[in-house]
Amino acid sequence: MLLGTVAVVCLLLLTLQLRGYTAGASDALAVVTTPIQSALARINRGAVGVWTTYSDWKNVRAENGRLREEARQLRVQALRVTETIEENHRLRRLLALKQAMPLATLSGEIIAREWGGWVRSLTVNRGRADHVARLTAVIGPDGLIGRIVDVRPGASIVQVLTDPASNVGAHVVRTRTQGIVEGEPRGTLRFKYMARDGGGIQVGDLIVTSGAGGLSPRGIPVGRVHAIDDRGSALFNYAQLTPAVDFARIDEVLLVVGAGAHDVAGLFPAGGS
Amino acid sequence: MRTFVAVAIFGGGFVHASLGPALRIADVAPDIPLIAVVLMALRRGPEFGCGAGFVAGLLQDAASGGLLGVQALTKALIGFLIGGLGGRLWVSQPLVQVPGLVLLTVAEGLARFALLKLVRFPAPFGELMTYVILPQALYNGFLGAALVLALTWAESMRERAS
Repeated sequence: MLLGTVAVVCLLLLTLQLRGYTAGASDALAVVTTPIQSALARINRGAVGVWTTYSDWKNVRAENGRLREEARQLRVQALRVTETIEENHRLRRLLALKQAMPLATLSGEIIAREWGGWVRSLTVNRGRADHVARLTAVIGPDGLIGRIVDVRPGASIVQVLTDPASNVGAHVVRTRTQGIVEGEPRGTLRFKYMARDGGGIQVGDLIVTSGAGGLSPRGIPVGRVHAIDDRGSALFNYAQLTPAVDFARIDEVLLVVGAGAHDVAGLFPAGGS
Repeated sequence: MRTFVAVAIFGGGFVHASLGPALRIADVAPDIPLIAVVLMALRRGPEFGCGAGFVAGLLQDAASGGLLGVQALTKALIGFLIGGLGGRLWVSQPLVQVPGLVLLTVAEGLARFALLKLVRFPAPFGELMTYVILPQALYNGFLGAALVLALTWAESMRERAS
């Protein structure tokens, strides 16, 4: 009886969503989940910091008492300073990019990550209250991270480029070959292009967003070609990409909320990492 | 007991979204709520497992921004199934736990893939099985068995102390 009820509720939910009626249900759940996710993200970062400190402390334990105590304190201080410097460096890069962007942007902090393979998404602490719209491009100092697929009252879900359902219009900087960058279930990226257009693509070529459809500015680095999958007479060929962004290490992002057909390639380091 | 259940369901979901990525090994993350649902279903039976699976799955759907109801349904099915079979299995043995959780994860993955295919999920089945479902199933198997052993040990310590 219960299983039947659950199945009916789930199928009803799925049907309503496919017809676009359940934004309210997501919002209601987000009211509960977002504050707890924010708190857990803070606890997580704190715990990682404490663990790192403890590991370093173990390395100097063999020294004599005074030096050990002194070394421990110095290490703890050094770790804090290093962490602060790294955070400062990250935030400065993000601020520089934000100031240089010809479009309006909104900075955000990652509060949760979904990394199971089925879905690769990040939760950012900017939502409907900040006037974030669906399909907003999300970038970092090194390049494109993904796009917003769900906006909630206090948070938004970012579909990361490596999500199996993600696809973005892009082109090769050197040859101008147009194509689509797709995520793969194994967490990698591939560039799909017409075989007749892609004869000149080489390993090391930089792929940037094409700006087609106006969903993201033109020229944001997506990745570099590290292998080419030549399928002979097939209509499409594929190039495996190394992403421009290390998605696992992102803590702060920019949401491109302004519209316009700008080419922003010059704002990224050497046209991409 | 209710507090434990609430913590297990809600905590499992939030830990999965917030701390799960830290448990990644070679880009494979465990499905912590699935393990929690299985453990609760084994202790409390099919109806409880079904309800716990529904709540845990719904929270996961909400946290990941996916379609609400997909994991709610698959985890409810798994909770019901394992709750019903639990009494007939010798679940205290790691030799049963590891392959059991592996099979359950694969079953959940297949059910999820079938549901997602109805809404035109683009990923090919072979790649999904090779790079997502099977590695996660193995991880769940070993992590779940370790959790069962830890819980058994904690309970025996508590009984000894009382």
